[in-house]
Amino acid sequence: MKKFLLLVRTGLRVNFSLSLLKPKYLFRNKKDLWMVPLIGLGLVGLIPVMFFYVRLVVRMYGWLSPLGQQAALLTFALLMGQFLVLVFGFYYVISAFYFSRDLEILVPLPLAPSQVLMSKFTVILVNEYLTVSPIVLPVLVTYGVLSRGGGVYWTRALLTYLLLPVIPLAVVSILVVGLMRLVNFGRKKDALILAGSLFLMTLAIGGQFMLNRSVGAAPDRAAAIRFLSAPDGLVQQIGSKFPPSIWASKALAWGPSGSGPLNALFSIGASLLLFAGLFLAARRFFYRGLIGLGEQTARRRTLSRVRLERGVGSGSRPVRAIFRRELLIMNRTPIFLLNGVLSVILIPILFVVMWNTGKRASDAAALMALVRSADATIAVIAAALFMTISGSLNGTSSSTFSREGGQFWMSKVIPVSPADQVRGKFLHSYAIALLGIAASALVVLLVFHLNLAVALAAVALSMAASFVLTAVGMIIDLARPLLNWTNPQKAIKQNFNVLLAIFADFGVLFLLYLAVRFLGRLGWTGWRTPAALFVLLAALSAAVFKALKAFAARRYRDIEV
Amino acid sequence: MIDIRNVSKSYNKGQIKAVDDLTLTVRPGEIFGFLGPNGAGKTTTIKLIVGLLKPDAGTIAVAGWDTQSEPLRAKAVTTYVPDTPAIYERLTGLEYLNFIGDVYGVPKKARLERIEKWLDIFELASAVSSPIQSYSHGMKQKIVLIAALLPGPKVMVLDEPMVGLDARAAHHMKEMMREHCDAGGTLFFSTHIMEVAEKLCDRIGIIHKGRLIACGTMEELQTRNREEQSLESIFLELTDK
Repeated sequence: MKKFLLLVRTGLRVNFSLSLLKPKYLFRNKKDLWMVPLIGLGLVGLIPVMFFYVRLVVRMYGWLSPLGQQAALLTFALLMGQFLVLVFGFYYVISAFYFSRDLEILVPLPLAPSQVLMSKFTVILVNEYLTVSPIVLPVLVTYGVLSRGGGVYWTRALLTYLLLPVIPLAVVSILVVGLMRLVNFGRKKDALILAGSLFLMTLAIGGQFMLNRSVGAAPDRAAAIRFLSAPDGLVQQIGSKFPPSIWASKALAWGPSGSGPLNALFSIGASLLLFAGLFLAARRFFYRGLIGLGEQTARRRTLSRVRLERGVGSGSRPVRAIFRRELLIMNRTPIFLLNGVLSVILIPILFVVMWNTGKRASDAAALMALVRSADATIAVIAAALFMTISGSLNGTSSSTFSREGGQFWMSKVIPVSPADQVRGKFLHSYAIALLGIAASALVVLLVFHLNLAVALAAVALSMAASFVLTAVGMIIDLARPLLNWTNPQKAIKQNFNVLLAIFADFGVLFLLYLAVRFLGRLGWTGWRTPAALFVLLAALSAAVFKALKAFAARRYRDIEV
Repeated sequence: MIDIRNVSKSYNKGQIKAVDDLTLTVRPGEIFGFLGPNGAGKTTTIKLIVGLLKPDAGTIAVAGWDTQSEPLRAKAVTTYVPDTPAIYERLTGLEYLNFIGDVYGVPKKARLERIEKWLDIFELASAVSSPIQSYSHGMKQKIVLIAALLPGPKVMVLDEPMVGLDARAAHHMKEMMREHCDAGGTLFFSTHIMEVAEKLCDRIGIIHKGRLIACGTMEELQTRNREEQSLESIFLELTDK
């Protein structure tokens, strides 16, 4: 147990760079103080999102409580939280269990496989609380306040929150450990990550499809009466695909007597059972699936003179070389590919699924109503916002320097100016943003049947906005690049810079929202507002890109490796 | 060709002096061996020369270009091989060499000739189209060496280049080093292998606790100490303090 706790403590320190979160380290250098307004701006940008979320929960509680179905809110939030853990947990689990470089240090140590694996599981578990908190905590708290939950509710709410990620994460972990033992892909580890991730993404989209159907599909009259007359009718309806979310919500909503304690026992029991299952799987299968995985082989084939001649480039093309390097490395590293390229396509696809499966009452439908608005200002801005979020709200630009990791020394020694290196990197990040813009433009044109002129204006506006957001993301990453990672996951998915950049993006979008409101108050309508926004964003793009190049010249000199 | 003047570098806000007032000149056509115990300041010095670290004080010039005020000009004539070959593992060997060729602006004809020559010498031709992550440690070391030779640099800076190389590759490497300097180039390298330094280097510098405690040809070092002493004995005597 002592060894296990030691491993967990070390894992937490390494994974979360805990020392960085302490103010005395965070702001040891005055140059880090720029982060304070940035985080503040991001939080200000998030406040409206949280405000609307809580308001929605309160409103839904108001609708559901007269029917006695308010517990469905809990089921929905818990299900969403567990679903997120199920999908995102896969990346964490597979890369932490099988592909992190610390395994080379841990495996030869006198530690049991279960100690190593369970410590890694615990570290991921802690990480997952961060993932589920923004979705689950507002609902748990709002529900508790509105239902005047007593001590029992709050105790169970805390327990539910703590147990929430255990079941889905244990399920994913057992699946991964079993799969790796059975197949031990070895030479095909990249293919495994890609295939597994795509499978889970399909599952996520399928899950979204089912969720929308179960919530949104209009039941026949008899079925409606049946599930509304039972106190847990809606809970059962929503959670039918994943019973643990039903147990957790019943444990919370059904007070100290009745089925509450029983469901709490179910919840705890299932978590413990799966935890035990994972422990056994770790003991039996972990090292058998792991050993030999690091071996890489490739078919050796001498290139003919002709092929070598064809393969060898010519001349001095530093910007193109940097761009090509970024492109190849990102596309060939599954974690980078999934979080960069694939994520920009996923958002538009999810919207299409939501539009096609929901009862036209989802976010997609709300967006649809806006983009079809008769007012050009609203239509262009809503479509442009959708395209900008699809293209830019990912970790590509805000991890562009961190992704180099231990290889950053090469960027320091090559005779290419920081400005040119930044140009090559910017082109790559921006190309991915453009891919997201193109995918979402297709969606608004083909699925939402948006007017072509409006779509083109939205594309222009989102290209300008993405230019700014890409440069902002790069500045944030360049300010404190994470170069000492041992697991590529840390460079993009667990990189604090990515979170900071998302805060900053929300902040920038919030400022643009204020600009639109200001212009509206001045009486601007029609195409004048989008045109003014475009000019503003173009000017901002030029300024931010200039700042990025100037900052790069300083940072490339100062960063020591 | 490499001119280091009163360079100092410390870590932990001056608590650890890694390099202390180092002054050293390496001339064109010279192989300069840099020796020292672990933690003496060898790698720090090398990183200062190639621009990975910034000196706290002093200046470094490579081929006449100050590495702080004219870093791009200095880098354009220098290549570097680190002690551990941390390179782009997701690229194939050829893609990596092309990347280096592109950023140093090596013309196609010269690029093709040099790649062919060094792939053949280091027996890497059959692996060049495979991803670098499938290479052994020695193969990675070789591809980094070929990349360092590809631009035809005036100055090569190598940090323990023999580590991981097999006997044949190490032999070719020593021949390459001599060839490079006979053609007027300069080579600065650190090593722990006394025999290599003794036989290969035109001059040797010994660093200890950040300070250069001896510098000269093998004969000069022997004269300063006792005649007929091996480099190993001189090294042990000088650093046993």
